[in-house]
Amino acid sequence: MGEPIMLEFEVKPLDFLAAGEAAERVKETLKTLGLPSSICRRAAVVAYEVEMNLVIHGGGGHMVLKVEEGQITIIAVDKGPGIPDLSLAMQEGYSTAPDYIREMGFGAGMGLSNIKRNSDELEIETEVGKGTKLVSIIYIK
Amino acid sequence: MAHGIRVLEDSCRGCVNCIKSCPTEAMRVIHGRAHIIEELCIACGECLRNCRHRALQLAEDPWEGIFNNKDTVALMVDPSLCTQFLWPPNTDFLIGPLRDIGLEPISGVNSEAFDLAALAVSRAIESADSKDMPLISTYCPAVVRLVQIRFPELLKHLVPVESPLEFGIDLWRIRTQQKESVVLAASCPARIAMVHDPVGREVSSAEWAVSVARLAKEIRSRGYAKAEIKAPAEGERWVQWGMLGGETLHVASFMNRDLNAIAVSGIRNVFDLLQEVELGLHAEVEFVEARICDTGCIGGIGNAESRFLSQRKIRSQKVRWDKTASEIEVLEKLYRARIWELQRTIEPINRLPLGEEISQAMEKLKEMNAVYAELPHIDCGACGRPSCRAMAEDIIRGRGEVEDCIFKLRKRISGLAEELLLLSRRLVHTVVEDKH
Repeated sequence: MGEPIMLEFEVKPLDFLAAGEAAERVKETLKTLGLPSSICRRAAVVAYEVEMNLVIHGGGGHMVLKVEEGQITIIAVDKGPGIPDLSLAMQEGYSTAPDYIREMGFGAGMGLSNIKRNSDELEIETEVGKGTKLVSIIYIK
Repeated sequence: MAHGIRVLEDSCRGCVNCIKSCPTEAMRVIHGRAHIIEELCIACGECLRNCRHRALQLAEDPWEGIFNNKDTVALMVDPSLCTQFLWPPNTDFLIGPLRDIGLEPISGVNSEAFDLAALAVSRAIESADSKDMPLISTYCPAVVRLVQIRFPELLKHLVPVESPLEFGIDLWRIRTQQKESVVLAASCPARIAMVHDPVGREVSSAEWAVSVARLAKEIRSRGYAKAEIKAPAEGERWVQWGMLGGETLHVASFMNRDLNAIAVSGIRNVFDLLQEVELGLHAEVEFVEARICDTGCIGGIGNAESRFLSQRKIRSQKVRWDKTASEIEVLEKLYRARIWELQRTIEPINRLPLGEEISQAMEKLKEMNAVYAELPHIDCGACGRPSCRAMAEDIIRGRGEVEDCIFKLRKRISGLAEELLLLSRRLVHTVVEDKH
């Protein structure tokens, strides 16, 4: 197995119309590789939640899909406000999304917990005022 | 003959309207003729709607072939057939005209079959595991195929209840002991595919499929168009299934509590909703009624009447949703006989991966991305593929050449021309040199 496959997506802030497109591309890419559909679905859920976080909170940013022997890595980097209390943010239902975003049906506070549930490894580096980097790994068994 | 759709090669002009309209990118134009990639086609009929040369048609069975020296053939009536005429959408008014064209409607079983399907769906909802929610209706065969092809993770959400148009025929056979073949009135290519390429059972209970439009034409041509009939006081519950929301109302009528359901129609809405269901955004919803055609089956390409007029006709019917004790008694008996059950599990239709091993597929994917990067990304369709991405994939799968792209071809020609120019100059130079 040679070099890993890298796909990069730019996610624009508050672009709700395009939201979900990157996740769909992730799913289609993994399917053409012949990966089991349960793995494709988990990666699609992670990619979707990551994408939504970038849209709603991160002020936009970059998402990278990396496929290599044995694992899929999804990396999200933004220069947003950062997460002041990470353990609180990981709780189901906790959200800092403003009302207008909740009215659109987003920002229910399930994002990070959904990402955690569907990842085999999850690492979040965040600094208030600087931004957040999220790395999610899903094993290909 | 792929999934209820037929390409008339002589009529095809090789334009790209069909390939651009296909929601699953299942179409290609090769050597000026439209082709359908079977394993990607969901039989939604979008290509038929967009073909200006009438080169794409419903693959319905030939009228004469059905009769084959017989005077009458049995017909399973679709709800949308009831809405094609000036009179109110009621099966009773169809019987005379249908008999006149040699078809014996078996519509007597329809009310029971649809009641039974709705009852079985409601029972499935009541006993379903919360992780399998929402349950998705199997009534639209194009939606079922879409799930098989694009959303295999949602297969377990499909409610294991067969279409009442299918088991209704079984019920009629059990009741009447008739072995006669049955024609299904089909409102779309997916219903035709249900007969000729069934999912969820080995062989369809119907033998033939004829479009609702064809049946309507036969009836109208016999002068029934102007018949004036007063609307009956009460509409039939099962005819409501022709319109989006009808199935949900029917299912809800069997439940003792409110049903949390979503009903959507139209290819775009169905796609988006299934994607959201897959992402887990609708876990609290119990039932999804999804129909590929806008407004439901009355919007199918196989109908003759305007879907909006059909919708008004169905809406004008007052329907009694509560059932009598004797109706319930019969239904419970049929429910226990389990004739409503899917006979086979619905399997995913997997797309061929780019390579046998993941590592091999990854190499191919890299090649594909490299080919794609060089294409113009304007998705013009001139290569016969719906998009530059589909073109890149076809090339990697060995189904095309880079030069199928008109822009790449032009670049190649201009490169060759420059090379020729250089060569021609060099030739003169050698000739001059030879003289020394």
